[in-house]
Amino acid sequence: MEEDMQKLFGDKHLSTKEMMHRTLKYLKPERARFCLALFLILINVGLDVILPMFIRTVVDNLTSPAISLRIIIGVAVGYLAIRLVNQAFLYAESMILQRAGQNIVYRLRMEVFEHIENMSRNQLNEMPVGSLVTRVASYTASMSDLFTSVLVNLLRNLLTVVGVYAIMFTISWQLSLAMLGFLVVVLVTSLVFRHRVTAIFREERKSISDLNTFLNENLSGMKLIQVFLRESGKDKEMLEKNEALRRARFRVTVAFGIYRPFISMLYMLSIAVTFSLGVALALTPGMIVAFYLYLSNFFNPIQNLADQLNNLQKALTASERLFNLLDVSPEVRDKPDAVAVDRFKGKIEFRHVWFAYNPDEWILRDVSFVIQPGETCAFVGATGAGKTTILSLIVRNFEIQKGQILIDDRDITEIQIKSLRRAVGQMLQDVFLFSGTVRSNITLNDPRFTEEEIEAAVKYVNADSFISRQKHGLDEEVIARGENFSQGERQLLSFARTVLHHPQILILDEATANIDTETEVLIQQSLEKIRTIGTMLVVAHRLSTIQHADQIVVLQNGEVIERGTHQELLRHRGYYYKLYQLQFENGEGA
Amino acid sequence: MGAVAPLSTKVKGMLFNKYLNRYYLKYAWLYLIGIAALIAVNYFQLLIPEYLGQLVDLCSDAEKNGTALTLAAIRDILLGVLLVAAVLWVGRTTWRITIFNASGKMEAALRHDMFLKAERLSQRYYHENSVGTVMAWFTNDIETVEENLGWGTVMMIDAVFLSLLTIWRMVALDWVMAVFLSIPLLLIVVWGALVEKFMSNKWEARQKAFDHVYDFSQESFTGISVIKAFVKETQQLHEFASVAKKDKEENISFVRVSVLFDVTIEIIIAVIMAFLIGMGGFFVYRLVTGNPVVLFGHAMDLSAGELVTFIGYFETLIWPMIAMGQIVTMHSRARASLKRISRFMTEEEEISAPEGAVTLENIAGRITFRNFSFSYPGAEDEALHDLTFEIEPGETIGVVGKIGCGKSTLAACLLRLYNVEAGTLFFDGVDVMDCTPASVRNAVAYVPQDNFLFSDKIRNNIAFARPDATEEEIEAAAKFADVHDNIVAFSDGYDTVSGERGVTLSGGQKQRISIARAYLKDAPIMILDDSVSAVDIKTEEEILGNIAHARRGKTTVVIASRVSTVSHMSRILVLDNGRVEAFDTPARLMETSPTYQKMVYLQALEREVEGGKV
Repeated sequence: MEEDMQKLFGDKHLSTKEMMHRTLKYLKPERARFCLALFLILINVGLDVILPMFIRTVVDNLTSPAISLRIIIGVAVGYLAIRLVNQAFLYAESMILQRAGQNIVYRLRMEVFEHIENMSRNQLNEMPVGSLVTRVASYTASMSDLFTSVLVNLLRNLLTVVGVYAIMFTISWQLSLAMLGFLVVVLVTSLVFRHRVTAIFREERKSISDLNTFLNENLSGMKLIQVFLRESGKDKEMLEKNEALRRARFRVTVAFGIYRPFISMLYMLSIAVTFSLGVALALTPGMIVAFYLYLSNFFNPIQNLADQLNNLQKALTASERLFNLLDVSPEVRDKPDAVAVDRFKGKIEFRHVWFAYNPDEWILRDVSFVIQPGETCAFVGATGAGKTTILSLIVRNFEIQKGQILIDDRDITEIQIKSLRRAVGQMLQDVFLFSGTVRSNITLNDPRFTEEEIEAAVKYVNADSFISRQKHGLDEEVIARGENFSQGERQLLSFARTVLHHPQILILDEATANIDTETEVLIQQSLEKIRTIGTMLVVAHRLSTIQHADQIVVLQNGEVIERGTHQELLRHRGYYYKLYQLQFENGEGA
Repeated sequence: MGAVAPLSTKVKGMLFNKYLNRYYLKYAWLYLIGIAALIAVNYFQLLIPEYLGQLVDLCSDAEKNGTALTLAAIRDILLGVLLVAAVLWVGRTTWRITIFNASGKMEAALRHDMFLKAERLSQRYYHENSVGTVMAWFTNDIETVEENLGWGTVMMIDAVFLSLLTIWRMVALDWVMAVFLSIPLLLIVVWGALVEKFMSNKWEARQKAFDHVYDFSQESFTGISVIKAFVKETQQLHEFASVAKKDKEENISFVRVSVLFDVTIEIIIAVIMAFLIGMGGFFVYRLVTGNPVVLFGHAMDLSAGELVTFIGYFETLIWPMIAMGQIVTMHSRARASLKRISRFMTEEEEISAPEGAVTLENIAGRITFRNFSFSYPGAEDEALHDLTFEIEPGETIGVVGKIGCGKSTLAACLLRLYNVEAGTLFFDGVDVMDCTPASVRNAVAYVPQDNFLFSDKIRNNIAFARPDATEEEIEAAAKFADVHDNIVAFSDGYDTVSGERGVTLSGGQKQRISIARAYLKDAPIMILDDSVSAVDIKTEEEILGNIAHARRGKTTVVIASRVSTVSHMSRILVLDNGRVEAFDTPARLMETSPTYQKMVYLQALEREVEGGKV
């Protein structure tokens, strides 16, 4: 468990060997594309490297007494042909790599998404939704960049440097040796700069996040600043942070302001060396021009190498985080011999159930009850008594520590989770609406439901009247998680959703929020019908729900303290009686 | 107030740089130095192709004359290159350090102005605009503006001057060749501008597809309970597949367009280069063979070296031509951002001191409501109706009522967070609307309902109102709020940082620190807005005892959701639906106020029901 948590947060370090092994696995399906792209890159770099030689030929020809029009035209045509062919290769190569990379992203995203879906509620609660989303959306892309951009560019640059140097060497080995000095200086400067600038960037990022945290907090707490007349004090703090950021940014500017011009100065110096050595060595004008052209082809890739090492680091970190997430194994799983059940009669029994979210903080203590098929059972109690927990245990959102939960006299751990959840219609307290339409929220995007079935379900739960009031009816758009529907309307949508899926057991966690009278009547009528579908368990906040229940289980601090029908419990004048008065007779004040 | 409407329309016109112009002036010298350096760099970098050409011609002449070229012969060229190296080194460093310094300073200054503005805006504004929206102006928009002030300026100057200088040199070298070249070059500009628009649309489509992946995942993981409940994992995965596929296709399609754009530009360039080599070579050939081509009455007398120079100029011109489209896009994006910032800067600040406003000082603490009604700006219904009552100086009263009865609104009005009707609310008999808002707020110490603390040391949170408070005063305040023992129990004591980067404080601890913070202000009036709801009964009694003792002689208003909190106070104000139901002693309220009676009854019941828990 401890180790699992670490994996969730991406702290577990993987060995380089393991990383290589695992990342390569994702490259495998794309290896044909990849090899083709590498081949094209090779040709590409080769042709690019040759081009200045055409210029050399033409310049030498133009400056020689034996000037020949045929050579001039030949070079022009050859030059054009190579550049055109090269562009075609470049296009092909980019598209092949892009497709391969996108295929990798796609497959990775599917894998990660499915993996997250299968984690248990407990595990999901441990991790902020934001970081899960980043893993699905961004880290997958970073990992694919590793192949399609980072490694490929690294390779391209290396090839270019080697190719250019080889040709320079054939032009003049003395001059090339001189350039080796520049190569070393540029490389060292770039690496040192990269190292330095990483630290400066880190500082800049920290200043940004400091300032933004400050702004966010103080804009949120502006009321207090104004009430306590702290405007000028906060202004001083803001100036400090603002200045810190400005200075950090300026340091970045200075770092680049020193590095980039220094490199361009070196480039100019290398031109001067080329000119003088070229003359001293009596190179032809064409050779000098070609050498001049090669210099820029030579300097850029070296500078880029430093950047790419950085990107490599980033991509590897993202991959590591992804692997860490994928290594978390789902907590609630089917037993190997679990059976699929098609239909349940609906008898539910808790036998001495003990449950805690955190070790030794018992939420349920020795809870036992039996609900016969078709019965409605209401759970009541103060906040935190464990009512909602009971409902979530039936569908195995969590595993109990002690005791047994049985449906139709079968332990629920022996039933396949999916078939169990399919049989249980859950109407949760906060109705979660997805973006989409009313229809897609009822069917949950399941295409197997016919129009008639959907309409029947909507009518059954009394949701037809408000849906038909919408401009687009069932196709009305759901805005901002359902802001355009009232609490009551959302309840009705959740009922329709449940009824449509033909459950044999129903779970309802009634919302406490105020619902307008008109919708409240609809909900109550609807609930009376829904009750007849099958066994129903309700965390009740409605008087009518409680009064109609066949059985009421009263909980206090995770223990069942009273059981019976409404009338029986009222006559008993115990805890339920007081609770009843508090919640229902004077509901407004609570 | 009347000035609001014209201001917001002015934003569209000339005003839009109002918030930047004075900084442009202030940092003009930095910009001038930077621009001068940029132009110098542009000028000097154009010398290199010229030197290369000269060198080629010198070599060529030497070869024809059968002599070897000596280093002495190219001394001027070498010195020239070294000079260019020096100018480029100094110049490039200079423009980076001046222009980016100026843009950074302007960004900081603008952000600071925005923060000052944010401090002056009323609570009405913060109700209507989420912090997230305002933050976006403080981050994204200001950065877009800075980008344009820095890189935008550089790119603009660079593109304009580099292309003008290059064209000038080309014309000087051979105007006919220059004319020949200008036509395909214009093609690059037009093509670049056309494609830029199309590409930014494609880029947006791609961004949208990515956002969809992001939103879809977020929604799925947030609503995972529904998905699991209805066993829709597979269904959802299928949906996700189509979202991810769309993203994949948009990415490929964007890359295709951008690669195609690059390829077409490269092809245009390749054609021009081939043309330069072929035609230029032809002209040189005819010149060498003693039969120069004459075009438009102009003999084409380029030497081989000059052709090389010409090619060099042409290569220099490529970048500015392509950049034109990008510069336009960058600029229009920055304009949109600046417009949003300007709109924020022109928002109305409606809480201000009237002319000849009174500064409240050393008040006794009498609060008078006279036919006081209040509705929130923009709301139709009144939140408080026709309140008339008086709180005596030094009195401690309770305020109770159901949720939404107007208790917190009452506090907001006392703090002058909103404008109230003149002649309805008085402190010591002075109309609060005649006072400076600062002096009204100075007279009130407030404990808010949401017990907001800053991510700072507990010490600084308590000393919020008076940063100069002594150690003893801070501890006394903490003891008043019965939180001293909790604080010293932390390993860092009063230096413990609260919030995300420090310890997570419990609701009760936060409430008590809030109380200490207000107490330290030592104002004539103190308001506790439901501020002990998260502390246990014993602590609550302790704090109430401290209030009775330490705030003797000072007015204190305790708003409460539990009747027990206020049941020992001399008088309790019962609000019902924005009206005064009663304002009397607890004993009398039990007879006259139905709301109060019900609350007392329910509380007793609640104690019994939850009794097992305590």
